Amino acid sequence: MIGNLRSELLKQRSTQTTVYLFLAMFALVALAVTMHVVALGADDLSSRTNQLEVFQVGTRAGMLFAGLAGAIAFTAELRYGTIRPTFLVTPGRGPVLAAKLAVGVLVGLVFGLVAEAFMVGDAAVAFAARGIDNELTGGDYVQLLTGGAASAALWAAAGVGVGALIRNQVAALVGLCAWMFVVESTSESFVPGFGRLLPGSAGLALAGNTDDLSAAVAALLLVLYAAVAAAFGWRVTLRRDIP
Amino acid sequence: MQSEPKGGGITDETLSVVPPVVTSPSDVVVSCRNLTKRYGDLVAVDDISFSLQAGTVTGYLGPNGAGKTTTLRLLLGLAEPTSGEAFVFGGRYRELEQPIRQVGAVLESNDFHPARSGRDHLRMLALAARLPLRRVDEVLELVELGGAARRRVRTYSLGMRQRLGLAAALLGDPQLLILDEPANGLDPAGVRWLRKFLQTFAGEGRTVLVSSHLLAEVAQTVDHVVIIDRGRLLARGRLDELTSTGQSLEDVYLELTDGDAS
Repeated sequence: MIGNLRSELLKQRSTQTTVYLFLAMFALVALAVTMHVVALGADDLSSRTNQLEVFQVGTRAGMLFAGLAGAIAFTAELRYGTIRPTFLVTPGRGPVLAAKLAVGVLVGLVFGLVAEAFMVGDAAVAFAARGIDNELTGGDYVQLLTGGAASAALWAAAGVGVGALIRNQVAALVGLCAWMFVVESTSESFVPGFGRLLPGSAGLALAGNTDDLSAAVAALLLVLYAAVAAAFGWRVTLRRDIP
Repeated sequence: MQSEPKGGGITDETLSVVPPVVTSPSDVVVSCRNLTKRYGDLVAVDDISFSLQAGTVTGYLGPNGAGKTTTLRLLLGLAEPTSGEAFVFGGRYRELEQPIRQVGAVLESNDFHPARSGRDHLRMLALAARLPLRRVDEVLELVELGGAARRRVRTYSLGMRQRLGLAAALLGDPQLLILDEPANGLDPAGVRWLRKFLQTFAGEGRTVLVSSHLLAEVAQTVDHVVIIDRGRLLARGRLDELTSTGQSLEDVYLELTDGDAS
């Protein structure tokens, strides 16, 4: 298992995929923060609640890109065929998946932290440029960083599970993006009161961007989602034939 | 362990084209018994039985789509048989303690991440197998890839990729090598290199199972053959006995697989 962990860490480091994901995330956060701060009226940006809303950008980006990284960790092996040598070395398959989940959580934490930190810096510059005072408290920042990192870590674990379940890389990545940008944002209008329970909204609550859920309930939900996705991915991976 | 190639290295009581030879079960390295794999209505592997003795080099032959690769995947635990069994060293591959110390295998010639270096590809496998990392450099030298080891695989020629795959299979210094179409796409120098490599490997008393449809090449390398078509076993035995009537391997093969009737 230690061997599998070290192997998965090397897989992460030995391609540039993670670096490109970080760059894409920075670009997305910068764009979204700029658009928000430029487009919104000064009144809509002045209160602490409004500013926390704007800071959703970092939390969402951290979760999404951590989820993508998790999904890629599995689907890239199928896409490039490395799943075959990988499973020839570890034919039990379980240790590979466990290592991918563990490394995914680690990478997800970094994605979450970096996304929040980048956004905080970005927003500080943008607010200052428009002469708007930053109303966030120290506690808000702590929750943004810890909650954002935890949410992203759990999204990464869920991403590994989704990747193992869907297997096709493009489908898994498109699916995760569609989930974050379409399902999460429209579900509330179809089933009121339900949208806040979804993994993206739960992550926002955990990071303190919204108060739709208590942090404890949000954390519990996210753990549950990650566990369910990982369990299904695990089950399928141990049973299904490798092409 | 030095072990002489035995007569009737491929044995089975019912279908053999050579007389069954009594051998000690401990010499059996690979055995398939009534191995069957169905995909819906398609029977990819249909009730195939054969076994390989230690120290033999066996060509696993058949037309495209005959079920060769599927058989190898079943042997290597990448796919589960519908019925029957596929054993290596007396057990299922997935239950071996450290499989790559016993079995080295290459199924596809391009199972690499294009952006990863050849050396990192081998290192990630060595780490997972808890093999010393110096073994990576050893196998790289063995397949003569030392100079390109730090380059990304996307810059490798097909021949280099074949050799990198082989290097991965050799990491655990296995007693059995299973290769799927290893000569595909190799230039003449590469083919000769592979032939010499396999002869050296087998000369150390180790066992090779190599699928192919390059009959002329196979005839120079192997001492036993198993021929299948449409999932069914057609013949197996020692190459010299199969061709003892003066027919070439190609004649025997085409006769069996109806390849000449097109």
